[in-house]
Amino acid sequence: MTNEIKPINMPKWGMEMSEGDINAWYFAVGDQVNAGDDLVDIETSKIINTVTATDSGILRAILGATGETHAVGALLGVIASAETSDADIQAFINSNSSAAAEPEAVTEAAAPVSAAVETAPAPATIPQAASGLSKLAEGEDDSLVAASPVARRLAAEYGVNLNNITGTGRHDRVSKWDLEAAVVAAGGQLIGNNRSASSAVHYGDDSNVKATPVARRIATQLGINLLECRVSGDRGRVCKADVEAVAALKNKIPAQTDSNTTVSSNTVASQPISGMRKTIAARLQASKQTAPHFRVHIDAEIDALLAVRKQINSSNTDAKVSVNDFIVKACASALIKVPALNVQFDGEQLSYFSNADISVAVAIDDGLITPIVSDANHKGLVEISNTTRDLATRAKLGRLKPEEFQGGSFCISNLGMYGIKQFDAIINPPQGAILAVGAGEQRPVVKDGELAVATVMSLTLSSDHRIIDGAVAAQFMSVLKGYLEQPATMLG
Amino acid sequence: MTTQQFDLMVVGGGPGGYVAAIRAAQLGFKTALVEKQHLGGVCLNWGCIPTKALLRGADIAHTLKEAEHFGFTVDNLSFDIKKLVQHSRSVASKLSQGVAYLMQKNGITVIDGTASLADKCLLDVEQDGKVTQFKATHIILATGARARNLPSIEIDGDRVWGAREAMAPTALPSKLLVIGAGAIGVEFASLYNDLGSDVTLVEAEQRITPAEDADISALAEKAFVQRGIKILTNSIVQSLDSSGADTVALISGPNGEQHLEFDQVILAVGITGNIENLGLESLKVETEKGFLQADGFGKTNLAGLYAIGDVAGPPWLAHKASHEAVICVEKIAGVDAVKPLNKDQVPGCTYCRPQIASVGLTEAQAKAAGHSIRIGRFNLNANGKALAINEAEGLVKTVFDEQSGELLGAHMIGPEVTEQIQGFGIAQQLEATEHELAQSIFAHPTVSESMHESVLDSLGIALHQ
Repeated sequence: MTNEIKPINMPKWGMEMSEGDINAWYFAVGDQVNAGDDLVDIETSKIINTVTATDSGILRAILGATGETHAVGALLGVIASAETSDADIQAFINSNSSAAAEPEAVTEAAAPVSAAVETAPAPATIPQAASGLSKLAEGEDDSLVAASPVARRLAAEYGVNLNNITGTGRHDRVSKWDLEAAVVAAGGQLIGNNRSASSAVHYGDDSNVKATPVARRIATQLGINLLECRVSGDRGRVCKADVEAVAALKNKIPAQTDSNTTVSSNTVASQPISGMRKTIAARLQASKQTAPHFRVHIDAEIDALLAVRKQINSSNTDAKVSVNDFIVKACASALIKVPALNVQFDGEQLSYFSNADISVAVAIDDGLITPIVSDANHKGLVEISNTTRDLATRAKLGRLKPEEFQGGSFCISNLGMYGIKQFDAIINPPQGAILAVGAGEQRPVVKDGELAVATVMSLTLSSDHRIIDGAVAAQFMSVLKGYLEQPATMLG
Repeated sequence: MTTQQFDLMVVGGGPGGYVAAIRAAQLGFKTALVEKQHLGGVCLNWGCIPTKALLRGADIAHTLKEAEHFGFTVDNLSFDIKKLVQHSRSVASKLSQGVAYLMQKNGITVIDGTASLADKCLLDVEQDGKVTQFKATHIILATGARARNLPSIEIDGDRVWGAREAMAPTALPSKLLVIGAGAIGVEFASLYNDLGSDVTLVEAEQRITPAEDADISALAEKAFVQRGIKILTNSIVQSLDSSGADTVALISGPNGEQHLEFDQVILAVGITGNIENLGLESLKVETEKGFLQADGFGKTNLAGLYAIGDVAGPPWLAHKASHEAVICVEKIAGVDAVKPLNKDQVPGCTYCRPQIASVGLTEAQAKAAGHSIRIGRFNLNANGKALAINEAEGLVKTVFDEQSGELLGAHMIGPEVTEQIQGFGIAQQLEATEHELAQSIFAHPTVSESMHESVLDSLGIALHQ
């Protein structure tokens, strides 16, 4: 019986995710799998996450072997009962995936499958949408309606406004029973019943994707398939922000396909590159190829800054301000003073910003990510410091929200902690410039004809010469040097 | 050698510290845990678990005493306290090894040694005179607490035991004085009374288990007195004289002063936080009355420093420490919808006989907080199962807010009530009213049917009393 055959598909976690790498299977073909078991680890450009089984049965086939890359939605495996014949399994595989016959031909399979996502988004997946339930959804804010916790949660799942339900509990409180009776009376189907009766999920069906009720409703309204969305809500659910991120992406940014990337095997131990590495490679290559970089370099003496830092940190227990925090603050102030550098360029349009949203490069396992200290020009040093620590902590855990690392009008990359004296950085498009920060170290300096010792830090700005002129970059660096050497002037 | 760096370091391997480390590792933090002695902390090694192992022995002693009531004649009984202590120690050691396994399984670096803060986000760990420095973006102090001394009476490990010594006796005291009738004091009084000691329990407040509801205290006191435990409330042990063969205690109370002789004293007058030698003073970390000051998520006034568990203040309970550990780490990691600790939802359990368990406000506290309340009471002597097992001494008391129906508190005394209190805890967390509890079907015959009856009584419709 084909309706007992359940597919395991490549999920869609990030809005930029078009494919994922199979990291490891927890089961082998022939193993008994129970609903809720961890099935397979998938790595994407941002995260490694685990696909859990939605059904119980025998893992009958694995079509996505460890190390392979598969497109979102691609059939990775099949779960079915022991009684289901091999022929039925094969028929199911054939009808569900063109990649099945030749799992090696991953990148070729990817294009048509992902194209299917774009052209046929989200069929009406909520059974209730077509029923008379929509009437129950209308009404004002129902948060004050007396309802049991269970009833309230079910109401959210059904999209029912509690104002429309007559409560028969004590003090007319709406019970689970009241709610379900109203749903049935309105021609709706009870969720539990529907779940048990659901037939095999075909590709693109997102009804089994865990999502918040609001996210599911917005997705339906906007014609977005929940499989397309990143999962950043609590308890592994697609949340409202995830759906809105996809909506924003679809409206503004053309869908990207980079499925033709081939993997070099010219190393002793060859391995496919990680999704994140692939993204970094593509972005930086594009930056270097399209943005003509030019660099200006300046040295700043930071003894005064170090003294202020010591004062702040010793007088304020809740402050652990780093030199980098000063640089963020100084850059923010300098960007406001030299607004021509506070710019994004997408190749056609220039966007100048009134506030300084500063990306700070954070090294994480196998890559880097650039969380944003937003409105840094309005934040004090301690606030910048605490914000940066929180962002860096969550960046390493893979717990940043998309809006926390996407955007930004300027970037800082600091390798001073490794003792690097000076380096050049590549612009993070669509930003216009990036600052490379070296280590503060004691160096001999000549002052008024006398040899002296000062703590000096080398700073290098890479700018996109299409939009930023040399004089602007030089002016920015001179202002920045002024703020770093006389930190008190940042207060003005 | 460069300084080893972690995302998160935990100081102290008790039920606060090791749970914090596990949750941090689960969330992806590069995590280390510093422990100076035994993984598992006081709870596993010298607290909750080993005392429960000893109290099991007390239960068996009690069962043997009442065997005759059920028709058994038991002759030639003998008891070797060393074997009971041996059982208790082996359980503790087994669990400590279990924690070591959990650390390994979760990829947590365990560092042996004594930690102190060198600066913000900087830990010195000293072992065998050698100091190693570690960097961590986030440092959680979970150093626990220890038994408090009185100005005039100090634990010496010989005549005067703290909880730790009382847990590993080499011989059974014949005349035992227990100072302090909080949870720890009454547990030891109950234990040694069941094992055969002549126990006197002294409490400065007007009733034993003063933190519990007054009705519960009254029943506990009645049961203790019936068992032959001497109780002196409103009384203070002024001094101990250990110069003679026996220790002479000078006890002042409502009826004046008296000199009483004991061969053993247990001091259980509260605990004090382990805040010494952590480098807190120079970094101006706020402490109050021997405990660290932290917000609802464990954050202290020092950047990157957190405090959880006993060292962060009352209630001094392992499950409170573990819960604080989870919310502290999840808050750092930015997990959605983390709620601060609600101390009114931390259950408390005392494993004397009969057991005491409670959650939320007592009747007096609820009134003082301005609630208009409805009280439910049900005595276990009307409960079939309690009668069948011959432990019908007990009470379930429920306190509801009259208007909202919120379960403000639940207070239980009786057999295995420590296993039953979870039911009320779940009801509180779900914001159930007396209505939902009344509608719930409780299985028969169980002692916990009394929970149901107590709720029904609050509505004036108890069925069996």
